[in-house]
Amino acid sequence: MKKWYEGMSADSDVLLSCRIRLARNIKGYLFSKKMNEQQASDLVQKVLNLTDSFAEHENEKYYSCRVNALRDIDKASMVEWHIISSALAQKNQSTGIIISEDEQVSIMVNEEDHLRIQVTQQGMNLSKALDKANEIDDYFSEQLGYAFDKHYGYLTSCPTTVGTGLRASYLLFLPALSMGGKIEQLAEEISKYGVQIRNIYGESNKSTGHIFEISNKTTLGRSESEIIENLDQITARIMTQERKRREYILSINSEEVEDKVYRSYGVLKYAKKLNTQDSMLMLSQLKLGQDASLIQFTGEFNILKTMMEIRPANIQKLGKKQMSRNERDRYRAHYLNQLIPSIK
Amino acid sequence: MLCDRCQKNEAKIYYTEIINGKKTEQHLCEECAAKHSTFQALNSLGKEEMNLSGMLFGLLGNIQSTNEKEETPIAACKNCKMTYEEFTKVGQFGCEECYKSFGRVLNKNLRSIHGADTHTGKQPKGYISEAKRLVNELPEIDKLTIQLQQAIEQEEYEEAAKFRDKIRALKKGANKDNEKMV
Repeated sequence: MKKWYEGMSADSDVLLSCRIRLARNIKGYLFSKKMNEQQASDLVQKVLNLTDSFAEHENEKYYSCRVNALRDIDKASMVEWHIISSALAQKNQSTGIIISEDEQVSIMVNEEDHLRIQVTQQGMNLSKALDKANEIDDYFSEQLGYAFDKHYGYLTSCPTTVGTGLRASYLLFLPALSMGGKIEQLAEEISKYGVQIRNIYGESNKSTGHIFEISNKTTLGRSESEIIENLDQITARIMTQERKRREYILSINSEEVEDKVYRSYGVLKYAKKLNTQDSMLMLSQLKLGQDASLIQFTGEFNILKTMMEIRPANIQKLGKKQMSRNERDRYRAHYLNQLIPSIK
Repeated sequence: MLCDRCQKNEAKIYYTEIINGKKTEQHLCEECAAKHSTFQALNSLGKEEMNLSGMLFGLLGNIQSTNEKEETPIAACKNCKMTYEEFTKVGQFGCEECYKSFGRVLNKNLRSIHGADTHTGKQPKGYISEAKRLVNELPEIDKLTIQLQQAIEQEEYEEAAKFRDKIRALKKGANKDNEKMV
């Protein structure tokens, strides 16, 4: 069973994945800010009790658990695999998760809203992901009954998500635009169309890995399909810009780029200590080189998966023990040295 | 210069207070100024993350309160007891009823966030609005009377005639039943 980060799509040089997230609240329960622990625990139990019948309804394998009962490292690892949000991991109350075996569907219970239904897929497939999310949404709507108002739509904790409760997003790899300092300008342009861009690794401007999430900013007044159509159009334009800029950089400076790619390869293959930030940066150089056919490997090498695998919690899970920062950096280097295939 | 109150942090705010005509002047740090007065430092003090929606609502709330001083303050939500002030701080509602409780300022604020205030997307499967549900619970003859009224308002006279006939038939049936019982 393939996970969303395994396998390739035609656009995987720029487009890494797409995701639909629906925010829903259950009628009769107070929202997160006013809920006490007893109510939160009841809510989580009520939703998790539906796991088996939901799995049967979907004819797929689903797992569920109480997130607050997990060890911190397991929670952090789920955040690093993009299964849960850090808000859910950090919440000081009963929380839960229902997740499909292929990790394409995850339903967070008692995050900012009672339910956050997430469907992640490869490629430019938001409408397909929305269909799937709607199907899941209908199931829980019938079982639990949602807080809905004819005028305001789906009622959410935060007024910035009310209406459709929909956050549609694409995960994009934008090294050329990012290195050229074009992201801020892009952010300004697309905000006019109700779309926002966010650097998902590293602090605000300093990108480590050049991976960005673009998503709709507003949720009220437009239908789900209008929101997706708008996002698709803007994403397609960003993809064209990124590809053009890569071509341009290679046309004027291919030696420099090639050198950077092979230096990154050398470090990842032979260094003895590697921190997350440096590894991310060099993996993104490798991906850029691989996409431009500047470098070819003898075996299969999934760079996106590797970027998630080497993050602090996941690297400890791979090493099967708790590690200090220094130990992690050594183990990360050792792991990457072994993993990265030789060059053709 | 150090803060006059805590003597620890750098004083950034020159604070003048006039109570009953008596003027006091102090140099305060942001933290003490926030504690001491109704003045709230706009930049977050690190503990609570400033929250965009709360801030937007807060700002708009202020504009509104200065423009419409006469208006009564917004009451707390009856269901979850959340006050409007609390909401502008946390940026999240406490329950579904808050949307009704704070309805007076909501539409304007939603328009500033979303550029719209009305949902046009999906509805829950099998959803019927509160009004429709109430109508459905009425006796058949009352329901038909409402539908007849609506049809006349929308100038759909053919439809209206159908409802009128149905009402007549029902009334006749009821009369017959009554006669039998007598």
